[in-house]
Amino acid sequence: MTEAPTVLVVEDEPQILRALETTLRGAGYEVRTAATGEDALRQAALGLPDAVVLDLVLPGKSGREVCRELREWSQVPVLVLSAVGEEREKVAALDAGADDYVTKPFGIEELLARLRAVLRRALPATEPVIEIGELRIDLEGRAVYRGGEFVPTTKHEFGILRLLALNEGKLLTHRAILREVWGPAYQTESHYLHVYVSQLRRKLEPDPARPRYLLTEPGAGYRLVDPTARVG
Amino acid sequence: MSTRRLLTGVVASAAAVAAVTGAVYAFRSSVPVLSLGVLYLFAVLPIAVFFGRAFAVAVALASMLAFNFFFLPPVHTFTLLDRRDWLALVVYLVVALVVSDLASRARRRAGEAEQRGREEALLAALSVALLQGGRIEDELGRVEESTASVLGVPAVRIELGEPSAGGPSVLALRAAGRTVGALRIEDGAPDPVARDRFLPALASLLAVAVERDRLEREAIEAERLRLSDQVKTAILRAVSHDLRSPLTAIRVAAESLSSPSVTLSDDDRKRQLETVRHESARLDRLVANLLDLSRLQTGYSEPRREVVSAEELVAQALAELGWDERIRTELPPAPLLLEVDSAQVERALVNLLENALRFSPPESSVLVRVAAEDGEAVLAVLDRGPGIPPGDADRIFEPFQQLASDDGGRRAGRGTGLGLAIVRGFAEANGGRAWAEPGPGGGASFAVAFPLVPSPAGVER
Repeated sequence: MTEAPTVLVVEDEPQILRALETTLRGAGYEVRTAATGEDALRQAALGLPDAVVLDLVLPGKSGREVCRELREWSQVPVLVLSAVGEEREKVAALDAGADDYVTKPFGIEELLARLRAVLRRALPATEPVIEIGELRIDLEGRAVYRGGEFVPTTKHEFGILRLLALNEGKLLTHRAILREVWGPAYQTESHYLHVYVSQLRRKLEPDPARPRYLLTEPGAGYRLVDPTARVG
Repeated sequence: MSTRRLLTGVVASAAAVAAVTGAVYAFRSSVPVLSLGVLYLFAVLPIAVFFGRAFAVAVALASMLAFNFFFLPPVHTFTLLDRRDWLALVVYLVVALVVSDLASRARRRAGEAEQRGREEALLAALSVALLQGGRIEDELGRVEESTASVLGVPAVRIELGEPSAGGPSVLALRAAGRTVGALRIEDGAPDPVARDRFLPALASLLAVAVERDRLEREAIEAERLRLSDQVKTAILRAVSHDLRSPLTAIRVAAESLSSPSVTLSDDDRKRQLETVRHESARLDRLVANLLDLSRLQTGYSEPRREVVSAEELVAQALAELGWDERIRTELPPAPLLLEVDSAQVERALVNLLENALRFSPPESSVLVRVAAEDGEAVLAVLDRGPGIPPGDADRIFEPFQQLASDDGGRRAGRGTGLGLAIVRGFAEANGGRAWAEPGPGGGASFAVAFPLVPSPAGVER
């Protein structure tokens, strides 16, 4: 990216908004601000930012609703600001299409890292073979290799791995994975998912009890990461 | 037996004997007169059934005498010539005694059945009343009244629990081996049959009702505890949210000052430092509010009252808030004196101002107006916010009221709702009052008022 990416910060607490605006500008972003969900949607429609930092608790339209309406016409990356006690709302926002979240009070290094990650993922990835650490996932050949060795996978195992690999580093909710891999009728059957994720870890992880690739976000979902390169 | 019933019996008996005598007289030409004597049974039988043994015997004797006097030779004398006539008399007497005995037994049975019926109806009515959720204390009066009528005494009193004093007129109410209470008979002697039959049933019923009352009280207590737990959870949630907002701003601003990935201009560094300072003060106020509220609720907030001017209080509150440029003031021509705890009233004003600033659009101003009205100094804070929903003007002064419309955490975040509760608490502790009303040009007006202290004489204006 040659020019500074634009970030739209949506937060109704004026002091947090001011501190975030100053910090993100200092980190080299172009910053726009909105104090309500309605204002955020209006600003996004006038000129799409490169990413949205979205508080969950807003007067009027909630963060989740803003997220859903944005997703109707845009794939702009959304990073949700959440707090302890708002887990249900957070998962609902992720289900509605948010890309990731940080929990208040967050440190700015974490925020900047997550922001860089969602911006990077927004770039189109078209390669038919995805390499993540020691894993090599051949999307066309429907094959998985670990350290050069072929790992047999079932249809659903490969489906989960493919989806997570295409969204490397991104948190995917249970509901989203079930919907993509099994179909909309299965999106609440998360026990299937737990079983297949355990099986995948047995096949892919050096130590399935201490996963390094396929990470659990408690109460939210899973993400596939490259353990050899930390996020950010 | 009542005089009226006695009189009726005498008249009926005489009429019966006279009627049968007339009938015998009418038939005497066609039927042998001796066989007509049996007709007198028609007089004895109904009298025995309706009026009992004494009347039946009297009617039997009278019938015999009438038959003898009018029809048996020698006619118009009471002399009995024939032994057969004696036999007839004995037959009448025996019939009279047997029938009257049968009839009176039947009457007693009927009375007893009626009594049982009354008892059962009472028990049924009582169980319905007690089991439909009526409180046992509310039903006792009616139970006592009905019990007295069943036992045939003027009045009884029912005491639940262990009887306070014994005595012959106190009957224990026992069920399942436990004493439920006592029945005190104020006057008269109860019908022993009814007493022995009715009291155990009454005791069982009362035992069930007492037990049900106890369970209900336990359920209410459990519900109260559950609610207070819910309130505590809501408080913790709201307080943790309110603490986290300033903390987030402080952490972001502070970390940006030392982060290698963030480059700030001098102005931006000042802005971030200002945020840290401002939000630390807000955290401090929030903690103070929590303490104030707990002191107000436990009664540890005895005000230290002194005479102070209203504008002094406003000035202190504005200084505490850091001279926010959005706040305008309107003061009266002459200073108004109050006798209040200045720290407490200042905190009330700070809370009102914070509330107004929070709910006002960012560019609009907030007005503090001090005025004398009807012997009171009124300190009002007027904002241009969304105003107060109709009917909520009083409710919003209750602690944690902002939590009431929790819709999935969306509005639970709009503050703890501690501030206004503290405003009212401190206003009232200092002899004043606090209220809210629609602002004159939209928005809301929140005010506190305290009695004016007269200005000292001889002040030059």
